Amino acid sequence: MDSNVKLDEVVMRFGDFTAIERTSLEIASGEFFSFLGPSGCGKTTILNMISGFLRPSEGQVWIGGEPMAGVPVNRRPTAMIFQNLALFPLMTVFENIEFGLEVRGVDKRKRREVSERLLALVALEGSGSKLVTELSGGQKQRIAIARALAVEPRVLLLDEPLSALDLKLRQHMRAELKAIQRKTGITFIYITHDQGEALTMSDRVAVMSAGRIQQVADPMTLYRSPRTGFVASFVGENNRLEVKVIDREGERVRLDGGALGSLMGRAGDDVVLANGQAAALYIRPEHLRPLGDGDSGPRLETTIEAVHFEGAWLMLETRLEASGEKLRVQLGSELAKRAAQALEPGRQIDFGFDPEEAVVLPDDGSPMVDEATGEVLEVAPGGNAKVGGEHVPSA
Amino acid sequence: MFRQLSERFGRPVAMAILTLLGMWLMVMVTLPQLQMIDYSFRPNLLPAQLGGPEDVWTLSNYVTLFNNEIHRAIFFKTLWSSVLVTLLTLVVSYPLAYYLAKVATPRQAALCILLLIIPFWINEILRTYSWFIILAFRGPLNEILLALGLIDRPIRFLSGDGGVMVGMVYAYILFMVFPLYNAIESLDDNQIRAARDLGAGNVRTHWRIVIPHAKPGIATGCIMTFMLAAGSYAVPALLGSPGSRWFTQIIYNWFFEGGNWNQGAAYAFLLLVLCIGFMSLVMKFFKVGLGDIAK
Ligand SMILES: Nc1ncnc2c1ncn2[C@@H]1O[C@H](COP(=O)(O)OP(=O)(O)O)[C@@H](O)[C@H]1O
Ligand SMILES: [Mg+2]
Repeated sequence: MDSNVKLDEVVMRFGDFTAIERTSLEIASGEFFSFLGPSGCGKTTILNMISGFLRPSEGQVWIGGEPMAGVPVNRRPTAMIFQNLALFPLMTVFENIEFGLEVRGVDKRKRREVSERLLALVALEGSGSKLVTELSGGQKQRIAIARALAVEPRVLLLDEPLSALDLKLRQHMRAELKAIQRKTGITFIYITHDQGEALTMSDRVAVMSAGRIQQVADPMTLYRSPRTGFVASFVGENNRLEVKVIDREGERVRLDGGALGSLMGRAGDDVVLANGQAAALYIRPEHLRPLGDGDSGPRLETTIEAVHFEGAWLMLETRLEASGEKLRVQLGSELAKRAAQALEPGRQIDFGFDPEEAVVLPDDGSPMVDEATGEVLEVAPGGNAKVGGEHVPSA
Repeated sequence: MFRQLSERFGRPVAMAILTLLGMWLMVMVTLPQLQMIDYSFRPNLLPAQLGGPEDVWTLSNYVTLFNNEIHRAIFFKTLWSSVLVTLLTLVVSYPLAYYLAKVATPRQAALCILLLIIPFWINEILRTYSWFIILAFRGPLNEILLALGLIDRPIRFLSGDGGVMVGMVYAYILFMVFPLYNAIESLDDNQIRAARDLGAGNVRTHWRIVIPHAKPGIATGCIMTFMLAAGSYAVPALLGSPGSRWFTQIIYNWFFEGGNWNQGAAYAFLLLVLCIGFMSLVMKFFKVGLGDIAK
């Protein structure tokens, strides 16, 4: 892998508080790499170490094969898009974009050429003479990108750049950012607490929690094969059932669900599970299917508590009869139509699932889940529980 | 204003407040000024001649300044020296204000501001006099410099304008530091970080980002310092040498030694015009309005 940014045994402490636990990571040239995690987990801190605003307490950051220790912010081959954009309000759009070139002593004509080209890239031709205060939110966003690209960075660092935009614009800008990244071939390091953004744009995602990287993988793997309970609950939505391992055969694991009877699930080769060990079985709401009387296999008997119509799908809140635990079920419109008459609060309904789609992980403590919303809560290092990102509808 | 006040306190109270405010402005501010202007356009007469045939409006008091070469020189020197004091105070205050607003931790900033303010609990005359002692020919500063071997014989700090400059920068520094501090404080830290991230060094970050943002504060500080310097009496009286007389001293002399209030009033009015002229010039130069300064 042609490594562009490398974190080598990096640790960041603020006084007694360790914001980033020992971390090593390589990000390839031209990769769209995201850090995803709830707020306060240390994402901005990592970005600040790469850009040079923070010096790691231990370890070293490398960029383009060069160690960055002692290289100040203004000499690093990085450019940052700030959470609040930090455009210069007293300057025109041209002056903003050309600021980095002006600093480098590029002459005026050349500067104007570059800024015209970048304005075209972000589809804002002709607004160069405007003041940035005259632009809309989405336009400011693009100017911030153009300003950062003007200095031809090896790495573009983006700190939750879309969080200030409304939903429509945010989704539009996702596609735009991805397109700009493809066109320019620059490494993007993207920070977000919104898993939708991370999953749709990234080549790879690092999921973080409390200063620790939980898993680094491509979005599909992250979604299909989470490595920790935190990832399973934070990325997408998951039902979590407490089980005991009976035995495993390759990836297949036979489980004792207690009152739920015997269950089956899948575990990756590198997930270590001992027979008899306490474990957790994660089943996504969209992988649960209503069972008829004749169907065989594991059967989860539930009572419907609430039905939410979401347009393309139905979300059912049910309770397991055997254990009293909650189970959320998402039914596509086809399934919902077939089972229509049975879908009312108070009705009983049984669900089954494909063991291939149910992930078994060692029991690493139950992540806190908000009872009301089903959002994953995490105790942030500061001590306050913070709510995780919005949930993505599954494909 | 009346509407806001009456919504809050009711009509009678609002009326009372505004009447008091208006009377205050009339009696304490406007009338005395008008009286002075009136004085300045009348000849200096004996009490018996007041209201007599010679008590007419005239420009003669203003003409005096143009005919008196020494007074004219002192007038322009006061102008020039006050500009210099203002610039000097700005140069000293800017790094301090930046440090307080953006570098210091809240604790350090609080401590620093306290240290800046404490001396101002002491009367201005006493503070100025302490500089007289420090800068004296046989004073501690000369002693220290001699002891360190930096100079061979004591320097006469208090001859010429040097002492006055030092004294004024010290006396008026807070009036520069606080407007600057307020202006710089309100700058988003990310602006500074973004400039550095795009490759700007320290000087350019200040020149292109911090100073333009702080412009209203700089203008406010400059105007206040200039007005105080141009109108200062105690500092030049104590720290000045015979050769560094300030225009205020001449005004004082007309009033209290020459006993010519009309002449004094004309000189005072000219100083006021000078200050207003300087203020509008600064505002024009910094492209700020009165509204920005009052913020
Ligand atoms: N300069 C600092 N001094 C002390 N603590 C800090 C500092 N910067 C960040 N932290 C702490 O480090 C943790 C991670 O912060 P941050 O990286 O900003 O999180 P995120 O960007 O993921 O929301 C937080 O608990 C925050 O309070
Ligand atoms: Mg952050």
